[in-house]
Amino acid sequence: MLRLLSLALSMCLILPASLQAQTLQDILQTHQDEVLSPGRQSVGVVLDDLVASGLPQALPFLEAWRDREIVQRDSDGLFFRAIEEDDAITLVDLDTGTTITVANDDGLTEARPNGGVRRAIGDALVQFQLSDPDITKRQAAVDAIARSMDASQLGPLQASIAGEPDPSLKDTKERLAGMLAVLFGETQEVRIAAIAGMADDLSVDVRAVLNTVLSTQPQVAVALPDDANVAQVLTIGADLTAQEAYDRLVAAELAPALVTSAQIRDALVANIEGGMVGGVPVSALNTDAARAEAYDALAGQGLVAPRVTPEAQEAAIAAHVFYLQYDEPDPVITDAAEQALAAVETRVAVSQGIDLGLDALSLASIYFLAAIGLAITFGVMGVINMAHGEFIMMGAYTGFVVQQFVPDYTLSIIIALPLAFAITFGAGVAMERLVIRHLYHRPLETLLATFGISIALQQLAKNIFGTQARPLTSPEWLDGALVFNDVIAISYIRIAIFVLALLFLGLILFVLKRTRLGLEVRAVTQNPGMAASMGINPDKINMLTFGLGSGIAGIAGVAIGLYAKVTSEMGADYIVQSFMTVVVGGVGNVWGTLAGASLIGFLQKGIEWLNPSNTLAAQTYMILFIILFIQFRPKGIVALKGRAAAD
Amino acid sequence: MRKSFLAENPSVLWFIAILAVFTLVVTLLSEVTGVGLISTSFVKTLGKTLCLCLVAIAMDVVWGYCGILSLGHFAFFGIGGYAIGMWLMYARTEGIVIESFAGQPIPPTPQEVSDAIGNQIFGVVGSSEFPLIWGFADSLFLQLLMVVLVPGLLALVFGWLAFRSRVTGVYLSILTQAMTLALALYLFQNDSGLRGNNGLSGLQNIPGFEDASQASISIVFFIASAVALAAGYVFFAWIVSGKMGSVIKGIRDNEARVRFLGYHVESYKLFVFTTTAVVAGIAGALYYPQAGIINPGEIAPIASIYLAVWVAIGGRGRLYGAVIGAAFVSLLSSWFTGGGAPDINLGFYVIQWTDWWLVLLGFSFVAVTLFFPKGIGGLFDLLVRKQS
Repeated sequence: MLRLLSLALSMCLILPASLQAQTLQDILQTHQDEVLSPGRQSVGVVLDDLVASGLPQALPFLEAWRDREIVQRDSDGLFFRAIEEDDAITLVDLDTGTTITVANDDGLTEARPNGGVRRAIGDALVQFQLSDPDITKRQAAVDAIARSMDASQLGPLQASIAGEPDPSLKDTKERLAGMLAVLFGETQEVRIAAIAGMADDLSVDVRAVLNTVLSTQPQVAVALPDDANVAQVLTIGADLTAQEAYDRLVAAELAPALVTSAQIRDALVANIEGGMVGGVPVSALNTDAARAEAYDALAGQGLVAPRVTPEAQEAAIAAHVFYLQYDEPDPVITDAAEQALAAVETRVAVSQGIDLGLDALSLASIYFLAAIGLAITFGVMGVINMAHGEFIMMGAYTGFVVQQFVPDYTLSIIIALPLAFAITFGAGVAMERLVIRHLYHRPLETLLATFGISIALQQLAKNIFGTQARPLTSPEWLDGALVFNDVIAISYIRIAIFVLALLFLGLILFVLKRTRLGLEVRAVTQNPGMAASMGINPDKINMLTFGLGSGIAGIAGVAIGLYAKVTSEMGADYIVQSFMTVVVGGVGNVWGTLAGASLIGFLQKGIEWLNPSNTLAAQTYMILFIILFIQFRPKGIVALKGRAAAD
Repeated sequence: MRKSFLAENPSVLWFIAILAVFTLVVTLLSEVTGVGLISTSFVKTLGKTLCLCLVAIAMDVVWGYCGILSLGHFAFFGIGGYAIGMWLMYARTEGIVIESFAGQPIPPTPQEVSDAIGNQIFGVVGSSEFPLIWGFADSLFLQLLMVVLVPGLLALVFGWLAFRSRVTGVYLSILTQAMTLALALYLFQNDSGLRGNNGLSGLQNIPGFEDASQASISIVFFIASAVALAAGYVFFAWIVSGKMGSVIKGIRDNEARVRFLGYHVESYKLFVFTTTAVVAGIAGALYYPQAGIINPGEIAPIASIYLAVWVAIGGRGRLYGAVIGAAFVSLLSSWFTGGGAPDINLGFYVIQWTDWWLVLLGFSFVAVTLFFPKGIGGLFDLLVRKQS
């Protein structure tokens, strides 16, 4: 340990350049005997010198030495790496790499390091890798240690920390050394100190290390042993069932195995004699009771092992104590680890809560983007547009097509956003003029007609773009995620969608509250007849509103396409959620849509968190919740008041 | 009242007469009589179409007469199919399992039989336990009761909740669609107890009639579907005629006025919604043994919307319109998507109807809504007017 420390210090103090004149062979020649037949004590001197030399060829030499490939030529005492082939031996010069081929091993003496020495060499190798001038090699060595932790790595790792020039790698090394110290520290104090140092780390590997310390084995004994580090005494019924308890007794060979029904069956089949088994006719053996009776009769004749009666099972379970025993024998350390783990898990839970909140927020912003266009058309015109989802799809495909022509992703997104708006705006206006205008005051028929358009558009997209998902690649600066700690992280795309949603919220509020168009839209919403008599043209307003709602759907399509795949069915995936958002939020109100999107986003994430294995069930429960919610607030969270609220 | 009902509605007699002739012709031309002009698979298609006509008239009553655009009636149809499918699958598997036990040296216990059946049925979803909802699957009578009770109760509870809080119009449509989506998503889960997206299969084999040929089974189901359609037609024609029919149509035209006249609108709507759901369930129970397989995809919201499309194209507010719409569009749809329609070569592009049928259907649906709100049934009005 001390030797390794001093070794590391010398490593970083001595400049490799000043020793360039020295060759590996020179060092080896000064320690001929130690290289040839090293002892556990004497090897240290050679290793010290090798490390101190800083020669790059020392690393392959150490590997070759450990693998017993080093030979000495008796004639001049020089060392070589020997590679045995079929009928010849190739000697490789350790410094220059030039090769000499000899016929056989006459005149060569093999260096034979024993097990202990090879371990020491291995440590030095780790040491070498951890102190390699190339940072990628150091990183690889650290990663290798993190993958398979071992007591022997603690020393070299700690030794290399002081000389580590890269601050982030130094942190990693310190953390890793801490984890190794928790598991393999030499004294109780060292380990407890290391455990205490982990309490404010949230990463999964730290929790794994603490859980390793706290790993338990189920045990069973007649009485609780005094010397065991017992984690928990298990009570039958609460912690484990009687069946499991008995199985453990059987596994520990403390009780006879139960005779299973399959064994009973086999035994009965093997003992059929003249249509009878144990005095019971074969045809009557169609109940468990009859089979048990026949089997007991066989057991009475000594033909089969007797069944274990339920009473005997109970007695056997009652006579034993079942407990969990820590693998770690020292209770002080397990207590400290328990405390540290509890502290870590509290913080992890808080972080997970925040992370869930961020996820929910980003889902809510997606729903908001998908639904706000719908809310405008529905609220202003009372028109349900079932093809809204297909406008989202059109926007996404616009983005895809633009990317086919503009290879620069940033530029293509900048082009795609207004283009998607323009295309879906046009499609919306055309749909309003051609179809919806003729169906005013027949809302159910509008619903069905727009549904017909939705079927046709979806199939058209399938015919044009095929059924497979098309990628919409996000620009590079949107790759990756904003990482707060090991638990809380949010991808930049989600942040961008959130920002986009905020932008649209602001934009729509501005248009509705501060512009002439917004004034007219609100007037038509509240009372179309009165608005018309005030000189507003409701037809024009309706057309523009519908176009605006559809255009926003197109932009939402680009945003959604960036984070999900673009398929012809993507609109259908969002349409029901969008309707839910509008209906839950309250029709005809931007704030209502915001509230609806937030409620649904948070609700969905919350249910998924409660039941993470099953997203289908989460959606089912959410829809049921919304159906119930509508019962209590049929007009949504933010209900319009006055005449506008009338149907 | 009842005496004059048929006299007042000559179209009911006409319908039954046409249906009877049609059934007779198909039966005589089928493989059962040896003529074989109509193949067994086409008899099944026709039988299935009759079931779709039945659910379509139910849809017509709830939408065309009562003004409730339910986007959930195909879910009730599917529930009926699942209910009968459970018995068909259980009873058939039980037969196979008991047969396989017959070769064993000692007779099986009830537990062993049940385990083996469970393994056969639920092996695909990695389970062998019988879920609670299969508790009645061994009894045909109880499962037939389920065909009626489950859709009925679901519609009753859902309708009561929705109508009580005065959810109307498009809101109600969206809500029924949400219910359908929730049901479909639930059934898609492997642990729903109904074999997840594998659905129930092998339903064309009727337990107890293992020796009967598919040709005769298909004719029996065809005739049963025709009888059910006739009975449903008469039942609904009776409901929508007379005083009750007037109230129902009044609710469609102006709910508030009917309420002000002192009628308890919610009860009427609930009655219509529940009865039509029950009929939809019965139609499903007749449909799926002919289809042979049911899976959650059948229940997806889109199916219920197609149902509305059929009724709209056929003509709302007249029962024979729904029948025409369902038969016409569903047969046309299977002709187009089944590759029966010839591709159109435009020189630069070949229109393959398997790809373009939905585009055609979508746009023609828009056209019907815009220009022929009365649907195909509206043509009869023109005919009648010319004659008079």
